[in-house]
Amino acid sequence: MNYILEVKNLTKKFGRFTAVDNISFELKEGEILGLLGPNGAGKTTTLQMLLGLTTATSGSVSYFGRDFHKHRSEILEQLNFSSAYTKLPWLLTVKQNLNFISYLYRIDDRKSRIDKIVKTFQLEALLNKEVRHLSAGQTTRLNIAKALINFPKVLLLDEPTASLDPEVAAYIREFLANERKQFQISIIITSHNMAEVEELCDRVVFINRGRIIADDTPENLAKTIEISHVRLLVVTAIQPRLFEYCKANGLTYTQDGRYVIIDIKEREIPAFLKNLSESGISYDEISIERPSLEDFFLEKAKGGKE
Amino acid sequence: MSWSRVYAIILRYSYLLFRNPDRAADTFYWPTIDLFVWGLTGLYVEGLAGNLLIINIIISGIIFYHIIFRTQGEVSVNLLEEYWSHNLVNIFVSPLRLSEWLIAVVVNGIIKGLLGFVFTGLVALFLYKIAVFSYGFYLIPFIFSLMLTGWFMGFFIAGIVFRYGTKIQFMAWTFTSLFAPFSAIYYPVTFLPVWAQKVAAILPTSYVFEGLREVIHTGHFDPNKFWISLLLNLFYLSLSIVYIRSSFRKALDRGLINTY
Repeated sequence: MNYILEVKNLTKKFGRFTAVDNISFELKEGEILGLLGPNGAGKTTTLQMLLGLTTATSGSVSYFGRDFHKHRSEILEQLNFSSAYTKLPWLLTVKQNLNFISYLYRIDDRKSRIDKIVKTFQLEALLNKEVRHLSAGQTTRLNIAKALINFPKVLLLDEPTASLDPEVAAYIREFLANERKQFQISIIITSHNMAEVEELCDRVVFINRGRIIADDTPENLAKTIEISHVRLLVVTAIQPRLFEYCKANGLTYTQDGRYVIIDIKEREIPAFLKNLSESGISYDEISIERPSLEDFFLEKAKGGKE
Repeated sequence: MSWSRVYAIILRYSYLLFRNPDRAADTFYWPTIDLFVWGLTGLYVEGLAGNLLIINIIISGIIFYHIIFRTQGEVSVNLLEEYWSHNLVNIFVSPLRLSEWLIAVVVNGIIKGLLGFVFTGLVALFLYKIAVFSYGFYLIPFIFSLMLTGWFMGFFIAGIVFRYGTKIQFMAWTFTSLFAPFSAIYYPVTFLPVWAQKVAAILPTSYVFEGLREVIHTGHFDPNKFWISLLLNLFYLSLSIVYIRSSFRKALDRGLINTY
């Protein structure tokens, strides 16, 4: 299979500290890949190596079958990047930024491309405003507009919707999904918003302590977690009996007002509910939360710290 | 090499000249203040000494020294600007090559160096009736040589910034001044102590300012002084290019973002 991106045995050492330890993965055309891991896991260093901002100690990165190190400039013409943590020149206006960036990426028909991207991200009213005067949401919209200005084949996004209100974040997610569908853009995304990753990503590479510890679809990763959460609305008078039952059966629980959330293996739920009924522990509401990518993240992140 | 990318960077820093008062001050305000203060001082001393050339030498020294300062600043301060605005990543995740960035800041240095030269030349003409332009074509080789000095100093400072980040940013404003006492801007090299004359002998600027004074005093252009300054400049420029390239590689090794 021809991959858009192939990462082979990539390692980065800073002195005696190994930030990224012999990782390998691929990215297919039109695929959205989530790069996840707790803080300090090595995902930012990985992203920097994929962008040529950090040189690898060993291993290789190839885009479109060509070695990134040898064809850096040609490859970067077909890539772009956006991060919640970088800024465009803050003393320049939105228009000036998009203008000089369009020359940087050698865009044909610059004017119509800028007009299109400005319209798409609703930047019309901001064109003559300096970047330093934009709100966080406006800045993110401009950053993503910049990242799409060159019709990239590969887009690397570092927490693209951080600091956005839910409505704008949903718009950005929908936009990215459409871009992928329409133009087969391949996207690598890092995010701490697990719901976003579950919604957008076809596959997740989970990194911890510089190593890949999982590489699968979000659904399959969630399935590896056996524990579900049973949320019961229990009247206050009955709650102590429920707590005693949980303690006696080795179940962990948390109290959330009148709700009690019990962590239990999915296959044991029917027997658990039957036992509650037989013990006279009644409840007014029940909901079962199946394991999610967030549960997977929390378990693996905890595992990494231990 | 892509001229479109070079133009992009020229455009980016040109926009800044008109949006950032600091940058406009570097090009117009400080040279004008220097001309006022030192020009008036020169006039006063000239009155005491009765030497009509003192004011010419001081004013010419200021105008030509600002060419080095401006061209050096276009390299080092523009790099610092990318650090300050957290834009370094956006610049270097683009297809831009380091060589293209260097060419762009050199071109910017030529534009702003000449802009500053013409502006201060006109101010000197208006305030003191001193026409630096009247030295004619003799100025061109020396201006070129001074620009080379500005670039090699700028490349060295940019290399240091790539290695050590913004904590040494003060060098962008002080590094040039370090060489000023040895450059014989306002006085002859022979006026310096012997040890300082040895330092002056390996600086291209001392030959340029000696040569310029000779033009002002006698109207005679000494090609030897120009050629020596040119060769020294080319030597230092080569070293500075090797240094900035190695510093950039070092920054990439440490992670460019980590140099913030």
